[in-house]
This record gives sequence, C-alpha cells and structure tokens, in this order.
Amino acid sequence: MSRRIAIVEDEPAIRENYADALRRQGYEVATHATRDAALASFRTRLPDLAVVDLGLGDDPDAGFTLCRELRALSPTVPILILSARDSDVDIVSGLRVGADDYLTKDASLPHLAARIAALFRRADLSSSPASAEDVVVRGPLALDVKRMTARWRDRPVDLTLTEFWMVHALARHPGHVKDRDALMREANTVVDDGTITSHVKRIRRKFQAVDPAFDCIATVYGMGYRWVLGRLGSLGSELVTGNSPGTRQRTSPRGRAGAWANSSL
Amino acid sequence: MTRLGIRAQLLLVLTVFLALPWLGVEYARELERLLRDAQDRTLSGTAQAVAIALHDRPRLFDAPVRLVAPKGGAPQDLVDAAAARPVLSAGAAAAAPELEQILQGLTRTTARIRVVDRDLGVLAHAGSLRRAADDAQPSRSLLDPVYALFLPRPNEDFVDDEGSGSVPARREILAALDGIPATDRRKTPDARAVVVAAAHPIWVGDRVRGVVLVEETTNAVLAERNRAFERLFNIVVAILVVGSAALTLYATWLSSRIRRLARDAEAAIDRDGRVRGPLPGSGARDEIGDLARSYSGVLARLAGYATYQEQLAARLSHELRTPLAVVRSSLDNLSASPLPQESRTYIDRAQDGLDRLAAILARMSEAARLEEALGDADRVSFDLAEVVAGCVEGYRGAYPQRPFAYSPPAEPLPVRGAPEIVAQMLDKLVENAVDFATGGAVGISLAREGDRARLAVTNEGPPLPEGAGERLFEPMMSVRPQDGRTPHLGLGLAIVRIVATRHGGEATAANRADGRGVVVTVRLPLASGAEL
Repeated sequence: MSRRIAIVEDEPAIRENYADALRRQGYEVATHATRDAALASFRTRLPDLAVVDLGLGDDPDAGFTLCRELRALSPTVPILILSARDSDVDIVSGLRVGADDYLTKDASLPHLAARIAALFRRADLSSSPASAEDVVVRGPLALDVKRMTARWRDRPVDLTLTEFWMVHALARHPGHVKDRDALMREANTVVDDGTITSHVKRIRRKFQAVDPAFDCIATVYGMGYRWVLGRLGSLGSELVTGNSPGTRQRTSPRGRAGAWANSSL
Repeated sequence: MTRLGIRAQLLLVLTVFLALPWLGVEYARELERLLRDAQDRTLSGTAQAVAIALHDRPRLFDAPVRLVAPKGGAPQDLVDAAAARPVLSAGAAAAAPELEQILQGLTRTTARIRVVDRDLGVLAHAGSLRRAADDAQPSRSLLDPVYALFLPRPNEDFVDDEGSGSVPARREILAALDGIPATDRRKTPDARAVVVAAAHPIWVGDRVRGVVLVEETTNAVLAERNRAFERLFNIVVAILVVGSAALTLYATWLSSRIRRLARDAEAAIDRDGRVRGPLPGSGARDEIGDLARSYSGVLARLAGYATYQEQLAARLSHELRTPLAVVRSSLDNLSASPLPQESRTYIDRAQDGLDRLAAILARMSEAARLEEALGDADRVSFDLAEVVAGCVEGYRGAYPQRPFAYSPPAEPLPVRGAPEIVAQMLDKLVENAVDFATGGAVGISLAREGDRARLAVTNEGPPLPEGAGERLFEPMMSVRPQDGRTPHLGLGLAIVRIVATRHGGEATAANRADGRGVVVTVRLPLASGAEL
C-alpha cells in the first residue's frame, strides 16, 4: 500500500507541481486548497504525512491552526511546513504547534522529496528497537542515525531533521570545522549565513534545555562550527583541519544550481 | 552675508530706543520755552504791579531826585548781595519815602526792580540780578560731566552791564516811555548770561512820567530745564541699561533653545538620513515648542517612510517567492520527465537564471533579516582580533585565487556585540573587496585607534567616483563597474554599515592614498575594561 500524503496549499500551480512530483515518487497525494477542506478530509481519514502552507487564502496563519488541529487528531503523523516565510518567528511558531520540519518554498523538489522520505523513515523506525550499529556515540551524545533521534546523557533531545543532520555532521568528526556549505550538504538544505547561525543557536538551546552546561558546539569565526569533546578549548587555527574549509557562497553561486533555498530545518 | 544672531538682532532693534534721549532734548527745549514765556509774563506782571502802585503820584517825579553817580569812576554797584534793600539816591530818599516803601515790599523777588524817570535816571532800585549761591546744585550723578558737554550751565559769574545812575536807552525802556509795556532779552556784555527785562510805563495823568524796569537773568529757567532734562535722561539711561540686559538674557535663552532644538534635530537623523529616534519632547507652549513638535512630527513621518522603504525590498523579495516557487517546481518537474537533450540545455539555462534571481531576492531581504538577527543576538564581549584572524583563515580557503595580506593588532581588542554578526560584516567587506579587486592582494588590517578598533579592508582596483564614499553604503547602490556576472545589488556595504552602526561604530569608504584602489574602514568602540 502506497503512502498517502496530504498537501494543503492555496496556490494551485505550486500545489499541483508538488503533487505531481510526489506522485512520481510513488506516493498517493491528496490536495486541499483551504483549511476547512483539509480538516474535513483529515477527520475522515488521516494522511500518512501532511505538507502544510502557512498562509491559506486570506488568513496568513491558517497553517499554524491546521497544524495544531492535525496534531490533536494524531500525535504521530509527520507534519512538514512548507512556506514562503522564513523568519525565525515563523519557524519557531511552526515547530511549537507540532510541525516536525520546516522548509521554505524555494527548496527544490528533490530536497522536498528527501525530507519526506526521511520523515517517513523516522516515523517508521520510532517504534522498533535501536540496534547498536546504528548509533553514533560521542561522549554523552548518542545519535541514532536510523531513527534520526538524539540523546544527551541518556535524555532525548527533540531535534528536527535539519538540526539532527547538522549535529550528526558536526559530531561525526569531533574537532573538525564544518563550514556552512558542509553543514548544508549534510542537512540536505541550503541556508544563508544568517539562518545557519539561527539553526546552530536553536540546536545549542535544545541541548542546553537538557543540560545547561552544554557547550560542545564551538563557533570558529569566519569558518564554521565544530564539535568539541569536553570543555571548550582555545579556538586556535591548529585545529582547523576540517575535511572541507570548502567553498563559500560567493565563490560560485552557480556551483549549486538547483540547490538554492534560504531556510529550512 | 555675515551671520547675525538673535541676540545681535534684538540689540539692533533696541537701538530704536536711542531716540529716547532725542525726545528728552525736545522735551527740555519745550519746557524751556514755556518757562521763558512764564518768566516774561511774570516779569511784565511784576513791572505792571509796581507801575500801578506808582501811577498818578506826580510828587515822586516832581523833585529832581537823581541817583548820584560817583564822579569819574565806574558805576558804583549799589546792589551788593548782602544788602538787598532798596537803595535810593539821597535826594529821592528824602523826597520819596513812599517810593521806598513800595519797593521795600518787593525785595523778596528774585528780580532787580528799578524806577527810571524820563531822563533815564534811576529813581529807585531794589533786588539783584544775581541769585543766592544756594541754588547752585552739587554734582549728583555720574553723568553730570556728560550733561555739561551739551547743556549750558547757568553761570552767576557774569558782568552786570548796568551803571547805577542811569540806564541805557534800550528798546523796552523807550517803548515804555512811549506808553507801551514791553519786554526784551539781552546778553550780558560778557555773554555769560541772558537778562530778561520788562518795562512798564508809570502814568501821571495822561503822561508817562517814568518807567518801572524789572530785570532777571534766565539762570533760574536754565537750572530748572537742566534739572528736568537730567532727571528724564537718567531714567531713560536706566531703562535702556535694564532693558538691554533683560533683552540680552531673553535672547540668550531663546537662542539657546533654538540651538538645542537644532542640535536635537541634527542628532535625530544619522548620516544616511535615517531617523534615529524621536526628538526629546518639548512641552513649551510657544512657537519654539510648536516648532519642536512639528519637527518631531515630520521626523516621525520621515521615519515611517524610511521604514517603508527599508521594508520594501524585503516585502518585494517575499512577494516574489511564491511565483519563483511556481517556476522552480515546474522546472523540477520538467527535468524529471523524459526530454530531448536539446530541451535539457534550455532547462539548465532556466535553472541558472532562476538561481541568480533567487540569489538577488535573498540579497534584497538580507538587510531586513540582519536587522532581525541583530535584535535577536546575544551581546557578549569578544576579542575582535580573534574573530578577524579566524575569518581571514577562512577567506584564504574560500577565495583561493586571491591572496590576502593580514596585519593583526598588537593586542587583543575587546568589543561588545554579536561576534557572528561582526564576522558576517567582515564577510561582506571582503566579498566587496574581492569583487572589485583587479590585482594584488586584498589587505585586511586591524589596529587599535584610541578607544576604538580600526578595521580596514583594501583592494587594488578602480577608484571611487568623486563623492561616492557615502552613497556606497546605501542599499541597492553600486557605484563601481562590475563584470555583470554575479548579482551585485550593493547591499553588502549597506549591511556593513548597519552592523557597524548597531555596534556603536561607523563605516567609511575612501580611495587609497596612491589612488589605485579603495579602502573601506570600519571603526568599532572597544569594550571598556571588559574581560574576555
């Protein structure tokens, strides 16, 4: 039985384009233009995953309401917010009302498909027991790469997909500096300088909510971030042996053709 | 045009009141005229009164009474001040006790009264031309020497022209002898005083038998006039002094308020014409208060407009995102379908254009996003030298085609702010320098400059056009030629300025001293005594 995805989006061209792309991936797709239509359909039958736009019709925040309503109907169905808006406020609000991930509309269809596949994988595996070989352990940090979940000192840290992939990219090679491009690549997204700072800040906060003494993600100004084991050392350049000081945005905007997106989690 | 402050203007207006002394002079002149008229009338009245008492007393004139002048000498001054009693010639005294009695009653006047017969011989004589010395007023004010310059002083030290035995045949006497009362004024021979003389005929029957001659100097009038003028002038001077002091104080207060308003207005808008904040409220209920309030209103509207303009780019980029997403998802779908190779080429080109469009849109909302990040960022004390050093390492990797020359500071430079945003600012500076560099190394230097850190990024390349230094920091401004390949909306330096300003610093651009390149300088205040 193919998986069923609901797309709630008021712009017909985008809605149909997404639907076509997802159908090509083998999903069954139901499309809704308004919050009421979507909600009515959800009540009849829950989708396996919902892609929700924030602004629907005249209500710029209809997506938030719909997320909350869908979350009330099902605590487990993955919700992906797909919006033109990319402000921190919108991202944080969206995650707070129960969305699992947040993607801006200028993400490419392959990005979207990758997200959806990852969300399904995480949903599928969350119930099955973890096997040791799937877990990356770095001191107090344990990352289950299959389920895409993180634990710090044996307590779960609630990360979005983007955040999980970023932490994974950093923690896999502790001490190595990951620049923006490397993080984007690993997290299957493209973000700008300002947004990656927000992401890292949010990740730190989530860990600090579990352990206030958390300071394993160090900023290496002008280069990127790295995972440090234990206390934060000096930020000397001798540690900059990262696998990729890499290219920065300005070197070749065209080098990443098809991969432009300004914000995602 | 020389600048004339409000104080100077008000004092200039005050010079109108310099007309007041002139008014005083006019007033004194008028007063003098009135006093003289009054004196004339008084004298002729006195003369008339004496004459009335002497009318129709032929006995007085029958005897050949004459005042006897000492032979061969100057006329004896019969009127010495100590004895202001009527003095009669010996004959007259014997023959005219009545005349003596009548004149006796007049010695209290300040005038000299003489009775003259038709032959101009003096029959009787009372009083003196000189006034008592007690009238001489003592110097009372500082301005007396000034008044003395233009107000003639009454002078009691004059030469009396009259002999004692007879009087000259002057106009008023001759007129009186003809039966017509007359007054006249004349100068004393030494011209030190003016004498007013009134003559009245004495009738005996229908004949004029003699003349009463009453004379007085104008000194009393002069003294009175001087006193009045001086009093008036003293008041005027006092008013002028107090008035100009008050006006100067008022003007000082007024101009200080206006200067303060100008200063506040100046400070309310920064170099880029952005409104920093509202004017400090003015509660003054006058025109200057109104001006401050209306200026405040103008500023608020200006700020609103500036905000609108600032948001315009961000809103526009936001609005364009949905259609962009339509194009992108359509292209993605198209790529996924089986297509001839020819079509692939066009899809690739369309994707390429779309990426550039997206890049431009991202840049357009960059400033707004940065403002958001700045509002959000935690402010910490950090070592700017460390951040810059790290960044420069990164640039060497990011721009392998361009060498970097970094000159680090001799000491740590503690700055308070958001280090990741300062790093972002440096990214923009370097990005800009690399974009326009035509050769050589991009120079980055960081040094302490007093209580500020000075970060300069230079590149070799075309110099800035004249006067472009400031415009360079405006959003959407690019004044240097570019290759047209990379999207360059000139938001980079606008962001540099936003970050610098929000950290309490400033950003400037200038041509290099050798004219073969450009240097963009950012100055940030050092955190005072902050521990890293």
